[in-house]
Amino acid sequence: MAIEPLASTTPQDLPQIKGVKDVPYDELFVSGHRTCQGCESALVMRHMVKASGPRTIVLGSTGCMYVANTTYYTTPWVVPWMHTQLGASGAAALGTAAGLKVLMRKGKLKDEKINVIAFCGDGGGADMGLGAISATLTHKDYDCLVLLYDNESYANTDIQLSSQTPYGAVTTFSPTGSEKRLMHTRWKKNMPGMMATGHPESRYIAAGCAAYAVDLMNKIRRALELGGPTFVHTLDPCPKGWDYHPQYSQELGHLAVETGIWTLYEVIDGVCNLTGPTRQIAEGRKKRKPVYEYLKRQGRFSHFADEDVEHFQATVDKMWEEWLIPGVIPFTIPQKDAGLLRIDKRAKPLHAEAKTA
Amino acid sequence: MKDLVEKKAANEVETEEGSITIEIVYRGIFQKTLAQRIARSIVLAARKRGHTGTAFGRYGDSPERNGVPAKYFAVVAINELELESSMAKYEPAVVDVSIVVDDTLVKGVESWAWYGRQPIWKPVRSDGFVVVTSEKTPDEVLAQTDAAERPYTLAVVPGLASFAGLWVFKDDHTDYRVLGALARLVPDWVRLEDVQALIREQTKEGSAADSAQHGFDATVVRAVAPGEGTSGHEVLQFDKPGWTTMRPGIIVDARKPGERNPYYKKYGARTLRPVVNFDTCIKCTMCWLDCPDECFEVTAEGHYEVVYEACIGCGICAAVCPVKDCIVMVDEMKFTDNKDTWALWKSDHDAYNRWFEEMAGVPADPKGVAARAADAPVGTPTVSHDAASGGDD
Repeated sequence: MAIEPLASTTPQDLPQIKGVKDVPYDELFVSGHRTCQGCESALVMRHMVKASGPRTIVLGSTGCMYVANTTYYTTPWVVPWMHTQLGASGAAALGTAAGLKVLMRKGKLKDEKINVIAFCGDGGGADMGLGAISATLTHKDYDCLVLLYDNESYANTDIQLSSQTPYGAVTTFSPTGSEKRLMHTRWKKNMPGMMATGHPESRYIAAGCAAYAVDLMNKIRRALELGGPTFVHTLDPCPKGWDYHPQYSQELGHLAVETGIWTLYEVIDGVCNLTGPTRQIAEGRKKRKPVYEYLKRQGRFSHFADEDVEHFQATVDKMWEEWLIPGVIPFTIPQKDAGLLRIDKRAKPLHAEAKTA
Repeated sequence: MKDLVEKKAANEVETEEGSITIEIVYRGIFQKTLAQRIARSIVLAARKRGHTGTAFGRYGDSPERNGVPAKYFAVVAINELELESSMAKYEPAVVDVSIVVDDTLVKGVESWAWYGRQPIWKPVRSDGFVVVTSEKTPDEVLAQTDAAERPYTLAVVPGLASFAGLWVFKDDHTDYRVLGALARLVPDWVRLEDVQALIREQTKEGSAADSAQHGFDATVVRAVAPGEGTSGHEVLQFDKPGWTTMRPGIIVDARKPGERNPYYKKYGARTLRPVVNFDTCIKCTMCWLDCPDECFEVTAEGHYEVVYEACIGCGICAAVCPVKDCIVMVDEMKFTDNKDTWALWKSDHDAYNRWFEEMAGVPADPKGVAARAADAPVGTPTVSHDAASGGDD
């Protein structure tokens, strides 16, 4: 069977988006998908392909964004999409990028830039697929993006605990009870920080949130523009698992960043730029909101006692007051070694050109 | 299998007299616990008189999504043998009673693409029952229900839809009232004394058994003849290719650019719909940008109109809209179609604004109201219509 040409032949040109009025109108992830009311991960999918444009192949590992979006005729994709196994997003991204490269080298496909994006949930990416994503990020000859949409649980199968579930949250695996209030007392794994510190040859690693849509779309574009294996992690409020009214998805995304629980940043060629409100907080231009503002809006934290909130606040404070790079790099160095710190003088604030929404 | 499907379509499959099948149609996640409690209580109450039974969710509904319709079933039988013969089903093709725990579900049930949009009475046998929890009258509920193909009895249990989350249950006695109503409709299978005895075992709250009595007494019943109901709903069914007729690799064609998914529309997940005041819209794009269901379309003037066929009523647009009362979420039962409203605004401003005020219950022209207020003597009512009359009452 001949390989059919894609619908559009728009050349790859992915400039940074200047503001909300500059966001492309074309929808490549359309209505008619079976996601929850107020699903922020569906919004991530929509923004992801909106940013990448029509010359994109999307690979989806098992999770909400696979089951809800592609089960027998519930498909919303305008771009080619293929399912891949639960822990296989990294391997699928790399294999597809390598396959395209070979087909182009052999002249079986027109030699052009085709974006390859593989997405995974927090279960598929931060738990099961961690090894494959890590391996992919070391293969610097292949252009592919792995996007991890993090709704902080195995939301598809009705909310089981993942390594991205925050401290103390109620899940099917961590119900609260009269004997034991908190069943889950591990801190959320620092996935984007781990990817950034562990893969020096990846040219782009970022953490975003769909509540900051332009910032997120620009991160997707920069990842695809810089090329090589890249990684973007988004925090997606989930009304089903976090237990709040669907209309508050955006508000919770904003609060996650404004309380300092989630940090927005990008690491470009080894240089870290904080973006959006995270930058304002780090520079002291904006005061961090108390984490209670975020916690109290979600049913999954409704069992919290004052001491739990205090512990949560203290741990987030530590991220900002003690980490080497606030909210990004969790270790630091002794005072006597301060001279060892290298500050990159070449790096310009790349986001100065793109105002966030 | 094909015979069964055809019989299923015609509802010719007779239910056994030795058993009764009751389904509960509910909003995914929001009413999951409620549906489960009703189904289990039916079985437990039946056991009190020596019957047996089982309660089970529809496997195919998993994973449930917030708002997307789902089903739970209770089968009660006179003995184990009858139960087994009624139970060997993935999903009961015919039910005796359908309990609808949110009145907006009578507009049709679209759980997955392959079901299409189904009338609420679709699996209900001839002369069966459709029980709806609603504040509305049976006639008002019937006006939004697909025209009946078979006679059935519509019963309205007074009460608002009871919504909660995955981890919580809103104990507003909806389950008790529904059980009371069932005792009135199918006394051979559910007896009020059994229901009340069960409730007293389950809770110390004295008013709970009273709620069952209230459901028994206050439920309003109306016989529905074939043809009664509305023909205004969209027929949403499509030919489903089997795996042998699909493209190699079981490829499903992608959507064309500019197209929406014609097979699965999801508006049946909606309980509230956004109504837009285009006069106060500042064209900021936020509703369009933040909509997870891509339901806004930009007009030539730069307004964002809602495509109601795609909207599932999450309310994010109303939450992110920076203008007060520019996007208002309104009870879905106030509407009878998914028509484009921007076209009306474009052709007749005044008519649109009257419609907006009627639906949203807020003034369409707040500036004009403020200006009139400035001119008017203190104490004079400034809003000509009754702003408080909007909403659900």
